[in-house]
Amino acid sequence: MLLEMKNIDKAFNGVPVLKKVQLEVERGEVHALLGENGAGKSTLMNVLTGVYPRDGGTVTFDGQQVEHATIKKTEEMGIAFVHQELNLFNDMTVWENIFLGKEIVSRLGRCNKKEMIRKASELFSQLDVKIDPTEKVENLKTSEKQLLEISKALFFKAKLLILDEPTTALNNDEIDHLFQIIRNLKKNGTSFIFISHKMPEIFRISDRYTVFRNGEYIASGSIREITPEEITKLLVGNADSFRDIYEERETGETILKLRDYSGPGFQHINLDIKRGQIVGLTGLQGAGSSELMQCIFGITRGTGGYIEMEGKKIPPSSTHKTMKAGIAMLASNRKENSVIPDMSLLENMYLAEHTLSAKQFPIHRKKEQEKYEKYRQMLNIKAQDSSDSILSLSGGNQQKVFLARWLNTNADVLLLDNPTQGIDVGAKAEIYKLILQLAKEGKTILINTLEIPEIQKIADYCAVFYEGRIVKILQHEEITEQTVMLYSTNAAEA
Amino acid sequence: MTKKNPLTKALSQYSFILVFIAIFIVYAFTSNGLTWNGVMNIFRHSAVIGIIGIGMGMVCLTGEIDLSVGSMLALISGFAVVIFNLTGSILVTLLFCLAFGALCGCINGVLVGYVKMPAFIVTLATMLIYRSFAQYFCQHIPKDLCGGGSSVYRMVNSLSSYQTFYNFGNGKIATIPIVGLVLILVVAVFTYLTTSTKFGKKVYAIGSNEKGAAMNGINVDLMKTVVFVITGALAGAGAFLWIAMNASSDPATTGKSNEMYAIASAVLGGISMSGGRGKCLGILFGAMSYTVIDKIIVALKMDSLINDAIKGIILLVVILIQLAGPRLKEKFGH
Repeated sequence: MLLEMKNIDKAFNGVPVLKKVQLEVERGEVHALLGENGAGKSTLMNVLTGVYPRDGGTVTFDGQQVEHATIKKTEEMGIAFVHQELNLFNDMTVWENIFLGKEIVSRLGRCNKKEMIRKASELFSQLDVKIDPTEKVENLKTSEKQLLEISKALFFKAKLLILDEPTTALNNDEIDHLFQIIRNLKKNGTSFIFISHKMPEIFRISDRYTVFRNGEYIASGSIREITPEEITKLLVGNADSFRDIYEERETGETILKLRDYSGPGFQHINLDIKRGQIVGLTGLQGAGSSELMQCIFGITRGTGGYIEMEGKKIPPSSTHKTMKAGIAMLASNRKENSVIPDMSLLENMYLAEHTLSAKQFPIHRKKEQEKYEKYRQMLNIKAQDSSDSILSLSGGNQQKVFLARWLNTNADVLLLDNPTQGIDVGAKAEIYKLILQLAKEGKTILINTLEIPEIQKIADYCAVFYEGRIVKILQHEEITEQTVMLYSTNAAEA
Repeated sequence: MTKKNPLTKALSQYSFILVFIAIFIVYAFTSNGLTWNGVMNIFRHSAVIGIIGIGMGMVCLTGEIDLSVGSMLALISGFAVVIFNLTGSILVTLLFCLAFGALCGCINGVLVGYVKMPAFIVTLATMLIYRSFAQYFCQHIPKDLCGGGSSVYRMVNSLSSYQTFYNFGNGKIATIPIVGLVLILVVAVFTYLTTSTKFGKKVYAIGSNEKGAAMNGINVDLMKTVVFVITGALAGAGAFLWIAMNASSDPATTGKSNEMYAIASAVLGGISMSGGRGKCLGILFGAMSYTVIDKIIVALKMDSLINDAIKGIILLVVILIQLAGPRLKEKFGH
């Protein structure tokens, strides 16, 4: 047994977030730590790495009792946390990042650059990672940064690596590569705690699992003896929210028309989208679907062709004018693009509407409060007070506030870019239901996602992107994980 | 997360009032008995720096900075004296102050908002330029335009409206200095603007998350420019009050270091330098706190050269308490 955490308790301001939970990780295994957002996974990992002190319980790592853990101490013991938000220094080179604070120096304190570069490339070749140690980190792809973080941890003899949703920004090839590396390391006795919301991956890479729910330990066992459906049941408590929810709807006239539309990252897109339709856009990371959405919303500038909204051309590269035309966009990367951290829930919700109604200068607090209540009930936002900070909500509830933000602009067309990113299973199901409900009420919805089951659940049809072009339109019943992957990797052409 | 006690919440939001009260108590003890006039003088002496501070606060809320406000004060007040000497009209002088201020601010704003130069660099440059202009033109325009003075812009006191103008700067309404009332009016307007209008929310949003603001359809470039224009116009308003109070403007010393006092007032008043957080009301108290410190030093008959040291130390101590307080609470709380 490499790691044994028993009866761990942790409370913040008197609110318990971990209640007598346990976690056991063997040597040389990949252990999936599962739970919805807010189940306590991150808190437990922060207790393990010494970010938070625990209130009760025992931790044994590598045969040693761990008392008064600090980040430095646990690092020295061999626990490495590869964070979702990568902790790398973009302005420094790869080798500088690896050796930061642990530089190899000559007697006079001069950095031995050559030696460090040599060791770094040695490490990379061992791991079969193709990164140039002298490259600047900002020039690396996200997947390379991820691998760099892992390599860095391994270089300093980490015995246990915590991977917090390592695949969110990776495409399928990159995920394969990462998993191959994990398998190789496993053979040498390195252990992993693998945190992910993606079920197929969990089953591909993990050996055992532990499930948390609401800060409590629910179950653990071998991954071979359980099915994804059973795990989902353990995660949400009941699997009711997960049944097939798609139903056919009446659709109206063409509302959004793209003709030979080109821009940064995509070319010659032709689409006719009818009122009330739900259209899925998918493809590998960087295939152009997300880029198309950003260009429609005026964040980047189109280079050719045009878009028509209800027969009128939309002026290019103005988000505000696009909004006026009746288009809204729930952007991906919530923290960067949506969250206004210093503002309250109500202010966050009303920000977009304010730019549309800027001519009516003063704010009508009472009216806004009523509208907020309406959306809070409609979207089932779990929040106490509209004046609370947006940061006090979980990811799923934040996302619902931002959905309310855009519904509040009365847009006819909603562009949803990766709307369920980093959201737990329960909230995801709620968002799917909402999307279907909105479409029924006549909203037109474009949803871009890399998660195929998502499109399968809600899309009327789906456009598969490959290298900036739409390679295939799949109707609802044709959408399966296999066919989508076939076209998005262009395997059909091969 | 537990609900915060509303009293502690209010205290942490309005800590600038506590700072002011603490400094004011020291003043009450050091001066030989508080007088109503003495207290009202705090308003009078806070007027110019308070109004400039509000402008600075607006810029800081968007996450930018304006180092040129002190030089703007010198340039606008100098030229305003010339305009007054030429026209003899208080109204024209006021309009000139606001418009010229807006123009000076617009130069900053366009360079920051649209050209995307760093605000620190842009306003550092215009700080040098504006003051240099103020000094240069004072020497190189016909002497009678600047009131015959050699290195100072002086209002011609034989003009018929001179006395009215001077009375505006130094008079009182119901024992309250008129310029103090102007300050309160400006604070009230900007408190309304920042808390209760859509414009205000946009300013906060830009400072809090610029990219997020753009994704909400806010024209960030335009908004930044507008905020710099407002700051310039407020510097113009400050310049108008300045010449009304002093009847002259010395381009070498008027507004010297005022940008620093304005920043300090804003920070003392709880405005975050990275943007997105703070209240206009805080700036009023920040500015008044510094005025009271001046008065304490006079009351104690200390060398006024120690003035800036004390102001600096108080700034450090207040920020230290604000930062260390929550950390200590975290450590020893529960």
